[in-house]
This record gives sequence, structure tokens and C-alpha cells, in this order.
Amino acid sequence: MTQGPSTISSLTLAWRIARREMRTGLKGFRVFLACLALGVASIAAVGSLSEAVTAGLMADARYLLGGDVSVRMQHLPIEGEQLAYLKANADQVSSVIEMKAMAQTDTARTLVELKGVDSSYPLVGSVETSPPGALQAQIAKQDGVWGAVVDLGLLTKLGLALGDLVRVGEATFQIRAEITKEPDRVASILNFGPRFMVSTQALPDTGLVQLGSQIRYYERVSLLNHQSAPQFMDQLQGQFPEAGWRVRGPDNAAPGLQRFIRRLTLFLTFAGLTALLVGGIGVLGAVRSYLASKTSTIATLKCLGAPGGLVFQAYLLQVLALTLVGIAIGLSLGAALPFLGIELVRDHLPVAPQSGLYPFALFKAAVFGVLVSATFALWPLAQARETPAANLFRTNVVPVTSWPKRSYVLAVLLGVVVLGALVVFWAEERRFAYWFVIVSVCTVLLLRLGALAVMRAAKHAPRPNTAMWRLVLANLYRPGTSTPGVVLALGVGLSVLVAVALIQGNIARQVQESIPDQAPAFFFIDIQPHQVADFESQVLSVPGAGELTRMPSMRGRIVQINGVPVDQVDINPSVRWAVNGDRALTYAAVPSPGTEFTDGTWWAADYRGPPQISFDATVADGFGVGVGDTLTINVLGRDIKATIGSLRKIDWRTLRFDFAIIFAPGTLEGAPQTHIAAIKAPSSAEADIERTVAQHFANISTIRVRDALEAASRIIQGIGAAVTGTASLTVLAGIIVLAGTIAAAKSGRVYDSIVFKVLGATRRQIMGAFLLEFSLLGLFTGVVGTAVGTLISWAVIQQIMAMSWVFLPLEAAVTVLSAVAFTTLAGFFGTWRALGEKASRHLRNE
Amino acid sequence: MTETNPSPAIQLDDIHLTLSSDAGEVNILRGIDLNIKRGETVGLVGPSGSGKTSMLMVVAGLERPTSGRVEVASHDITDLNEDKLALFRREHTGIVFQNFHLVPTMTALENVALPLEFAGRSHAFDAARDQLDAVGLGHRLEHYPGQLSGGEQQRVALARAFVTEPTILLADEPTGNLDGHTGEAVMELLFDLHARKNTTLLLITHAPALAQRCSRVLSMADGLIASDAPAA
Repeated sequence: MTQGPSTISSLTLAWRIARREMRTGLKGFRVFLACLALGVASIAAVGSLSEAVTAGLMADARYLLGGDVSVRMQHLPIEGEQLAYLKANADQVSSVIEMKAMAQTDTARTLVELKGVDSSYPLVGSVETSPPGALQAQIAKQDGVWGAVVDLGLLTKLGLALGDLVRVGEATFQIRAEITKEPDRVASILNFGPRFMVSTQALPDTGLVQLGSQIRYYERVSLLNHQSAPQFMDQLQGQFPEAGWRVRGPDNAAPGLQRFIRRLTLFLTFAGLTALLVGGIGVLGAVRSYLASKTSTIATLKCLGAPGGLVFQAYLLQVLALTLVGIAIGLSLGAALPFLGIELVRDHLPVAPQSGLYPFALFKAAVFGVLVSATFALWPLAQARETPAANLFRTNVVPVTSWPKRSYVLAVLLGVVVLGALVVFWAEERRFAYWFVIVSVCTVLLLRLGALAVMRAAKHAPRPNTAMWRLVLANLYRPGTSTPGVVLALGVGLSVLVAVALIQGNIARQVQESIPDQAPAFFFIDIQPHQVADFESQVLSVPGAGELTRMPSMRGRIVQINGVPVDQVDINPSVRWAVNGDRALTYAAVPSPGTEFTDGTWWAADYRGPPQISFDATVADGFGVGVGDTLTINVLGRDIKATIGSLRKIDWRTLRFDFAIIFAPGTLEGAPQTHIAAIKAPSSAEADIERTVAQHFANISTIRVRDALEAASRIIQGIGAAVTGTASLTVLAGIIVLAGTIAAAKSGRVYDSIVFKVLGATRRQIMGAFLLEFSLLGLFTGVVGTAVGTLISWAVIQQIMAMSWVFLPLEAAVTVLSAVAFTTLAGFFGTWRALGEKASRHLRNE
Repeated sequence: MTETNPSPAIQLDDIHLTLSSDAGEVNILRGIDLNIKRGETVGLVGPSGSGKTSMLMVVAGLERPTSGRVEVASHDITDLNEDKLALFRREHTGIVFQNFHLVPTMTALENVALPLEFAGRSHAFDAARDQLDAVGLGHRLEHYPGQLSGGEQQRVALARAFVTEPTILLADEPTGNLDGHTGEAVMELLFDLHARKNTTLLLITHAPALAQRCSRVLSMADGLIASDAPAA
């Protein structure tokens, strides 16, 4: 026997056959292309957007930093030898002082972000105002009155106009301009109050610069030409190892913002990957459906002498060609969407993204697209390869449903492994990536096994008495049943829908339930020690004033855990906030009422031993520490190693006045400090309390809890909008997959319903059976989808967003029932149309 | 030198075919012994379920017998794997189906050229063109099956079956889906091609007249050859 064509010519022949087979056009591949394109577009768009934002952040790094390097001290100014060193070793140095303060008129007051700047400010970029003018002239003293430039928000809040006077502390300022652009403003994502910018020379007049006040002192440095920021920072560290300051370069110009962007990107990336996974299910269903329609052709080719390998190549090439088309569409959309999206949300982003094409993001999306398409298409292709040529001699040609050859099974497994490995490799946070891959694989396996279980149960169920129920059960397990496809598509779709519903519900809950009944009305900060008694007396004298809690407060940073630097410790991401930046510290002789201890014991009221702390139990768990372990905390440049004496359960949602770290007496009393206080009061007393404090204590800042929570809510709502927007892509992919699965089953339904009609079944009987079938499948997958979706929402809310999570049964139930109803209706309409088909067309021979 | 005692075109030795199903095992062929000489035309008749199609599939290498030996065109195909059977078919067999089974996305010319393309033959399309001329469809080369009548489709199928000049042609009720007049024309064509190429023909039919056109008629019943006699 001759061997036939060589490998190369075999591929050429396979391509020729593939091209001929694709002559019918792309009509039969709409679902395939839509699923793949949507998945690829999601990943490309997310990747491009995050690179655009990151690029914007890097481009703006010097602006955000206010120079090449930024040095920051809390409570104390940078002066003396340290300041001299900076001035001697850099090109320019600019001093900036930031703090919270109260701006008030005779009738109104509000919290502001007070910023004092020197004559060199800004070192990078420029402050733009309205009306335009030189900043230094606008904030200089004119006719005995200091000037200020402010955010529009302040003018609105206090009902002011340009030229009006406003008091901050003991000083009066004239508002000379509105700030329209502040180059280094976006360093903090949570700015409670509007900006109030003045000269540093004006600050002493306010009386707010006092020892222990919550003041941040910055020295921004622009370097000489030959210097690099990392080099300068190393020199600084070497020269002043005990300085206790925070030094930042362009790489971490805005760490809070960078963390926020990284978190958001992480979530968006996984949403995109979910869309691609769902798209893969769609690809699987579409390829399976297509190959089922080609069973006769495949058998014919084999009868004519085509080896199985040639048949496999021919159809694989078709799938690959369509994959390229789908990826091209997806990449085009994915590259274009960020341009559009950036323009829509530019004003709402904390940093200006850099629109552009980001090849690596597109490359990753293309690679994922190829892998998903190949992996999900391989199984049905391999099954089709085994189509017996003898099928042509049988009147009802059915596709092969048995497992393909082992080599193909291994190839599919390899594809899954490579996909999972790439997801993990390219993820910012590997731990979540592992979970994502594991949950995805388990979900698909669970649904597949679930479908088999449903089919088995239906097959072995006791024979029903009524024809309709017999029909329902038979449809669930008969050869060619759509049960596996519907369960998989519906299950994945439901999982996504439930996850999105629970994520949105939990975010909304954070917003709506954020003001607990017992929350304080106000927090007061920067109460000087000598003001404590007078402050308490004044505040409690206001009619309606309720419980007042007050504690000393200072700032410090956790630098070591059990002697190991924090950046070398494996800390649970959900508590990483505790080491990202300064923490509020206090000391107390006795625990506050209602303190809940989980381990250890509180110290004696007259304790004067080595430094000891009582610590937040949740954070301790995240650190992997317990009673007896140590934390080293840097307070004003001094490292204090303290032993954990007890752990406390703290529920921050109650806004109870509490601290993550409380020192025992004897360690911090001598440190510069202020006091903070919280007061409960009915809304009717709030205005009086605020006025009393403002009139008697100009240096004390009042934070209206409601305002603070509204600011947080706005951000959470923004996050929620991003979640909804991205999740909608995934949901859309799920709907397409589901529609495709139901449409693929339609041809079988057409034939079945026609034969039933011929045999005398009424439309009601046929419709009833199909509706029952879809409902049963929907309910089963609803249970599985709810479980998986719940797990996903927990992971996103708790692990990525570090928020508290609860199960919302109503939201889950409504989602599942709605989706089941949708599926049932979709099946209903598909079947209804099938019942309308002409019988003759299907009963006639070819 | 003439060939003495030429090997048979088809030789089946004690062929058994048992298929498993949910309802249990079914004995389709229960010991078939058959010897068909080269160039013979053999009609295969019998009631439905007698095993005619299964025997045809065994000869074509489309069904592996449970036991016994199958030799076709001097090749023992009993234990060949799927790919080797495909290679064998493209070289030695042509098959014509009741339902034509043309590839709907390929033109008449492409359908006929397919087996030659699989065999890696050069000038496949030239040979296909000639074959379509031979069946009177030289003017329909670029038409798709959907654009051809039933009779025309079956003629394309005939051309496809003969284009490789097979040793054996297997036909399963080739006129079953055609009206009388068209079927007659197709059969004329089939026997004419056979005569020209001296192909061994094994033909399943329910039409007695068609069976009688063959040189030999096998009658099957219950998985066995009930009778084997020259046509009357």
C-alpha cells in the first residue's frame, strides 16, 4: 500500500479541506467568535488600562513626589544637621507642612487639609489657580493679612467667595484664588477635607504647630544632574540611620495609590480571566456543536481514505483560523476600549492615565486566547477524529461521545496546566492566582460530575407513570442530550452571576451599614495635653452631649515582627495595612469598657516594666504572632521593642474608639503627643458641639463621622461601579455561552418535537416536558452555582478588597431564580420555535 | 505470462460479527465464508437485519469482525489499524451509498478529486474532471451538491468511487433514493463503468431486477449466506 502524502503535503491537504469546509462562512461560528473575542477583549482592555494608569503614575511620579526624593517626618520638623545635609547635597530643597485643621467663618466651619509651602514650592510642575497668578504672591501677606489658595469645595461648603476672610486656628486668611491644579495632591487617596494652601511663614500665626500635633513635615529634594534617587536615598540612610523619617523615591511616589491601583488591577484581571474562562466554555460548546453537524462529512472523508490524523488536522486548522479571527477582533476591541474608557473616567481617576497601545498587555491577551481556544477545542476535535466511517451506513448519525485517545487527553491536561501556570506567573498576587486556578478547575470538574450524576439519577429513577415525566427523564440522559453542555454553561454563568451579586451586595452593605447606631458623632484630633480638662468640660457642657472618650495619641510604624524586618515577614494580605505606613498608638493603664480579650491578660494599672502592648487579635493572626511575641515600633525615630501581653478582638465597623496597638504605662508618656477624643451625640446637638469646640479651641480639628464615611462611601461606590462594569463583561460572556448552548441543542429538539407531533403528542405535552427539563437542570446548577459564586465573592471581598464579608441569601436566591427563569424561558422560546418548523422538511430523506 | 489461479478479489473465512448493546449481545454475522473472483458482479439480497450491510462493512474495512479472516485484493485486512484501513480503502475500494454522502461544502469536482488528493496523486483534478465527463456531468463541475438533483448527486458519487480505479466497488442500495427512471440510468452507468474498468462489484439491493443484472446473487438470512447462485 502506498503511504500517501508526506507530513508537509498532509498539512497542505488538510488546509485545503479546511478552507473548503469554511466556505459556508462564519455564520455557524458566531458564538465561538463572540465568546473568544469577548474574553480576549476583557483581558486586553484590563491589561492596557492598568498599564496606562501605571504609566501615568510613573510619568507623574516626580510630580506626585514633589521632587526627585521626598523625606517625611511625623510630629517633628526636619532641621539642624539633617536639613543642612539635604541642602548641601541636593540642587534644591522645598519644605512643605501638612496637617488637618478647621477653617471657619462666623457661621460655618469645616475640616480642611492645611498645607504650608515655602518659596521654592513646587519643585516640579506648577500650581494652577483661578484667577491665574504667581502662587507666592497669592499666599503672601498683603495689608497685614495672609493669603490662601483653596479648593472649590471649601468655597462651596462655607459659602465663600474670592476675597472673603476665613480663620484657621488663630490666624485669618484671605482667599485669593481657587486651586485648579495641585501637582502633588494625589498622594493620598482619602482626603477628607478640601485643600487650604498657605505660606509656611503663616503657620506659626495659626497656633496650630504645637509639639505632638498630627503634623507631617516634608522636605522635597531635586537632585543634582549626576545624582540618582536610589543613590541619594542610600546615602541618606547611611548618613542618618536612626533618623526615623520616611524617604521615598519615584518608584514609590504614592504607595497608597499604587496599592489601590494594584488591587483594582488584580480584581479586573481576574474578572477578565473569568470572562475568558466562560468564553472557553462557549468555545467548547460551539466546536462540539459544529463538529456534531460535520459527523457525516467526517465519516465520508474517512470512507474515502482520509486517515484520522488528516481529519483532525483539517478541523483543527479551521478552529485555529477562527481563533485568529476571534483574537483579532478581541485585541482590536481590547486595545480600543481603554481609549474610550480613559476619556470617560479621566476626571475620576487619581492619576492621569497615559493612553496608548501596550503591546505586552495585548500579547498576554492573545496568548491566553490561543491557549483557551486550543485547550477547549481539543477534546471535541479529538472525539471527532474517532468518528467511525461506518456511521455512514447508519441512518441516525450520532457524534462520538467516548473519551478520545490518551495522547489527546494528555494534551488537554497539558493545556490546562500551561494556562494555569501562566495565570499564576503573570499575576501580581500569586496566592490569589493559585486560588483562582484551583477554583476554576474544580468548578468545571464539579459541574461535569454533577451533570453525570444528574444523568445517572435520571436513568435509574423509577419509571414514572406519566408520559411527560418519562420524556423529561429520558431527555436528561439520552444519547446526544444537552445536559452536560447546559449544566456546564449554566453552572459557570450562575457562579459568575452569584459572585457578582454578592460582591455588589457586600459593597453596598459597606456603604449603607457604615454608620452603626452607636457610632460617635465626632472625632476630635490634636487636643494638646494642657487643653484636655478644659476641652472635656466645654464639650460635656453642651446640652445633649453624650459619652465622651479620650485617649492620648501619637504615630509610629511597625518595623519588625519578632526581630525580623516587616518586609521579610510573610504577612496575610488582609492585614498588610497595619505595616503600610504609620499607625496610631496610645497607652492606657486600664482597658476601656467593653474590651473583648481573646488571649493573654492586661497589665496592672501601675505597671512600669519593659515595654508591653495589647494588640489587635486579627492583625496578630495575620502576622502569625501571639502573646509573648514582639513587635518593634518606631516612634519619632526611636525603635521600641514591645512584648505582646494580650490580644483584643476589635470590630472596626462599629467605629468604637479603639487602637490596634495600646502600650502599657511607662513607655510613651514622655513622647510628644496629642489627645484624640470621640463623642456620641444626637444630630440635634452636633452643631452646638462643633461650634463650642471651634470657638474655644482653634487648634482642635473636628471630623464629622458622617462626612468621613461619606467620603469613604464615595470611593467604595466607585469601586462598586468598576466591579459592575467589569463584571458585566463576564456576565455578557456567560449569557452568550448560555444562548449558544441552548441554540446548539435546538436542532435535536426540532427533530424530536416533529417526531413527537407526528406520533400524536400535543404541543402542551411537548412544551411541558422541555420546560420541566430546563427547570430541573436550572435548579440543580443553581445550587452548585450558588456555592461556587459564594466562594468567589468571599475571596474577592475578604482577600482582595480586605473588607468584611457576609452571605446574602436573598441576593443569591434572587440571582439564581432569575437566571433559572431566564434559562427556562430561553429553552421555552427555542422549543416554541422548533414546534413551528415544518415537519415535511425534516422527515424527507436527503 | 498469464496469471494462473489469480487470488480472489474478496475472501471471507468464517466471519463472525457480534455487537454489544444495552440489550445484550447481537450476533450479526454467524460464520460467513465467501470467495468473489476479480471482475465478478455480485448482488447481495435479503430481508432487513439479515447482515447484508454489516458484511459489506467488513469487506470495506469499516467494521472489524469478531473472528475470522478478511482478505481483499490480496491484502489481509483483518487486523489492520484505522489509519492503515483508510490507506487501504483509498487504494482499493470505492463505495457508493444510498444517501450519496457528498461533502456539501465541496463542488462536484472537488468531491470527486478527494480520494486522489488523499492518495497524494498528482493531477487529481484532471482525473476528476475526466471522471465527471464519463458520467455525463462535465458541465456541472463547479456545482455544489445542494445544486444537483438526486440522480446527479449519485452520478457524482459514482465518479468519486471510480476515480481511483479501485479493485472493488461496494454499493449499498445505490438507487434506493432515486425514482425508477433515474435509478435505471444510474445503474446503467454503474455497470458500464464496471465493464470498462473490470472492477469487482458487490451490490446490496432490494430490487430483484437489479440483482439479476449481476453475474451472481447471494441471499442472506440471519447472518448467514442462505444461497449463492449465478443470476438467473
